[in-house]
Amino acid sequence: MRRLLTAIPTIFGITVLIFVAMRILPGDPVASIANEGGGGQYVLSKADLAAARVSLGLDKPLPQQYISWIADVAHGNLGHSFWNKEPISAVVLRRGTISLEIALLAVLFSWLVGVPLGILSATRRNSWLDNIVRLFMTMFLAIPSFWIGLSAILVLVLVFTWRPPLTIVQVWQDPVRNMQMVIGPALALGLGLAATLARMTRSSVLESLGEDYVRTARAKGVREMLVISRHVFRNALLPVVTTSGVALGGLIGGAVATETAFGVPGLGTYLVQALSSRDWMVIQNLVLLYAVVFVVINLIVDLSYGWIDPRIRYQ
Amino acid sequence: MALDDRVVAIFDAFQSGRLTRRQFAKRLAAAGFASSAVAAFLAACGSSSNPTTTPVKGASSAPAAIPATSAPNPTPAPAPTPAPAPTAASASTTSAASPATDAGILKSPDPNPKRGGTLRLAFGVTTSNYDMQQGANAAVLCHLYSQLVRLNLVDGLKTIVPDVAEKWEVAPDGLAYTFKLRSGVTFHDGTPLTSADVVATYNRMISPPQGVVSLLKDRYSTVAKVEAVDPLTVKFTMKEPSAIFLLLLTDTTQAIYAKKTLDANTNDLRKVQVPPGTGAFMFKEYKEAEKWTLVKNPNYWNKDLPYLDAVELIHVPAWSDRGTAILTGQADLSWNVSKETWDEGAKKTDTIKTNRVTSFSAYQVIINAKQKPFDDPRVRRAINLALNKQGLIQAYITQEQIDLTRWVPHGGEFATPRDKIATLPGYRPDKTQDVADAKKLLADAGFPNGIQGVELLSASVPPHAEIMSPAIQDQLKRALNIDIKIRVAERSLLVEDEKAGRFTLVLDTPGGPISDFSPIGNTYFKTGGSQNFGGYSNPKFDDLLKQSDRELDSAKRRALLDQMQDLLDQDPPWLFIGYTDHLLMWRAYVKGLALDKRVQLEWGRVDTAWLDK
Repeated sequence: MRRLLTAIPTIFGITVLIFVAMRILPGDPVASIANEGGGGQYVLSKADLAAARVSLGLDKPLPQQYISWIADVAHGNLGHSFWNKEPISAVVLRRGTISLEIALLAVLFSWLVGVPLGILSATRRNSWLDNIVRLFMTMFLAIPSFWIGLSAILVLVLVFTWRPPLTIVQVWQDPVRNMQMVIGPALALGLGLAATLARMTRSSVLESLGEDYVRTARAKGVREMLVISRHVFRNALLPVVTTSGVALGGLIGGAVATETAFGVPGLGTYLVQALSSRDWMVIQNLVLLYAVVFVVINLIVDLSYGWIDPRIRYQ
Repeated sequence: MALDDRVVAIFDAFQSGRLTRRQFAKRLAAAGFASSAVAAFLAACGSSSNPTTTPVKGASSAPAAIPATSAPNPTPAPAPTPAPAPTAASASTTSAASPATDAGILKSPDPNPKRGGTLRLAFGVTTSNYDMQQGANAAVLCHLYSQLVRLNLVDGLKTIVPDVAEKWEVAPDGLAYTFKLRSGVTFHDGTPLTSADVVATYNRMISPPQGVVSLLKDRYSTVAKVEAVDPLTVKFTMKEPSAIFLLLLTDTTQAIYAKKTLDANTNDLRKVQVPPGTGAFMFKEYKEAEKWTLVKNPNYWNKDLPYLDAVELIHVPAWSDRGTAILTGQADLSWNVSKETWDEGAKKTDTIKTNRVTSFSAYQVIINAKQKPFDDPRVRRAINLALNKQGLIQAYITQEQIDLTRWVPHGGEFATPRDKIATLPGYRPDKTQDVADAKKLLADAGFPNGIQGVELLSASVPPHAEIMSPAIQDQLKRALNIDIKIRVAERSLLVEDEKAGRFTLVLDTPGGPISDFSPIGNTYFKTGGSQNFGGYSNPKFDDLLKQSDRELDSAKRRALLDQMQDLLDQDPPWLFIGYTDHLLMWRAYVKGLALDKRVQLEWGRVDTAWLDK
């Protein structure tokens, strides 16, 4: 409950920060939009720009603009972009599901690959297997996921004459095409995350393996597999869960570079487009959404500590 | 006798100079044309080396040629890269009346068109609003609308043909254009099209009411009034003759809106998704920044069109993604793809087709002519002479295709041929003499040792900031010891600085809407032009431009434009780099658009497209 209550001022502070930042940053959204629409061929007079600002409500006092925005958000109304009729919430739902799928798949992949590799590496320390795993970790920590994406697309196009679908297909519409769309970015992101988790798991497991209770368990004759799975793994899990939570929050926001590399229309690219066109409503609401998602995920991670480690619960 | 491909090939060969008049006559006669028709063609065509007419396709009797004053003046121009060479220049019609037969009833130039299917176009399909004359993305919305006249889709955009105007007449003094509208044309909501709609549309552009931002007002400064003569006749009365009036009307932004729709929305259609049009396709759905779906208009006034059931406009902002989409069959056509994917497509000739077409946007460095030392034309001339355009084109080749052009873009009827451009000072590849002349000019201007402290403003997009700007900086340093400091700014901020004149040099990509030089000259170079941000002013240029805008005779206009180009070379407003080309790529089964014949850019309508699969 305490953690839940601290989330509220956090979110409030974020809304103020976003609102002020958009107004402080240089750049006139109306001029940007006019320039975007005309491809640079057109000029608006000062009077034209002023009229356009009035029509968009940008002439109202800042506190009034802020309160209107917050009131709308509180009622679930994320508004529209400056010019388009489609509600931002509809775009967020459509693109957000794709970004969420990618994020979840990436984290799942990282767990399926990274955690076992980390355990293997820790339990076979300094063996050839450990060396291979550490090589994998270093490589995929160093290689950016968008580069993996670009390379993958190159091979797919040139060798297989295939690329992921260009338009959004939800999993309930066509699961196969949906998977074709999300699997590429998920794997590219998942590889980097797997390397991170593998490293984290390795060092956590190594630390746990040196503890007295592990020595005791071995001395009692417990099989090594049970020592690792029942005693070591759970204790080593906390930092892995924390890392996964932070990564998930970031990935849901949209891994822009990877989405761009694969041509996937996710939330990340949507935000970037809004930034370049100074679409304040989209930027404000998306950043607020990310903040809320981050806070919620961190809350869930915090709460999960109690389940993973009963000692934290008793404290 | 209907025209067939054989006859069109005869005309093309004559126009490009491969046939003499005698050979042309013989072959037409062999094709079944009466001698009187042949004689009429020859009379209209003028000399064999400089033919000026193009037959009207689709006529059921011996076709009448478009009058000599109207037609394009083809200039064979080899492409700079191994792409198919463009075959003819622009469709510049000056004071011509409409063709005697209705060339606007378009049909596929490819035989036996198949009906059905969905054409998928991949390009950037976002739009800031839905009003074509207030900055909306015309490449997206044009499919829903008709215009008075249009560029001919089936001959590679070489001629102007009727669209929703069935025909037109031009007063002998060029001071009145009277358009006769087709009867029975309806908007997508069933409202009949009348002259009132055309009048309302153009009056809104020319004299925008309160609350409307007319971005196209400047183009029609020569129009005195637009009026409805009767329900199907519209008359434009001009203040002075205009050499490009008809060509301006072909721009894809010239959609005709219903007066009813304009009135219902206080003339502001920016937020109306989507105002009804009279085009071949109707709006069905838009998923923002993802895809537009347009469906066939069953009541389109051209009863034969469209062949397609639907068109999908897929949002693919990255050029390489557009290319891979075509290569992998996820899209059927893209107006501009990346070079590496285009090269890949060019290899797959059985499944993919490519073309390279000239655009009217150019890479330029706009010079602030009000700031020292660039207020001195000798300094501006010197840097233009010293700039190695071929080097910059090569340096930028992985980013965008810049052509070796002069001030008039190659799609224009009056463009200087490429082989001639390459011999001119400032444009020739051997810079030895140019650099020597430039140094002398700088010395005469008081800068024998170069110039320090020059700022070049560049947008933060990596190709501008990291390739083009440093290349210019390096060239001018090496050639003339001009020290340039690059200031990088976000695009929207750069535009603000540009408009406010807060720059010395700024790298930008200005352009015009049509192949003719006039909008570019009026917007950017005329004293007080609406986007003459550098404050350039040359009274002689202004005078030549004014004369050229009014000159209806092609030969005289060409002479005036040549003089203007010479003057701009001597007293340049920009550090000129070149107009860009766009790399068109499509699946081989896309037919009906004569894409391989296109010599200029139009991200426009696809009424005659069909899918041969």
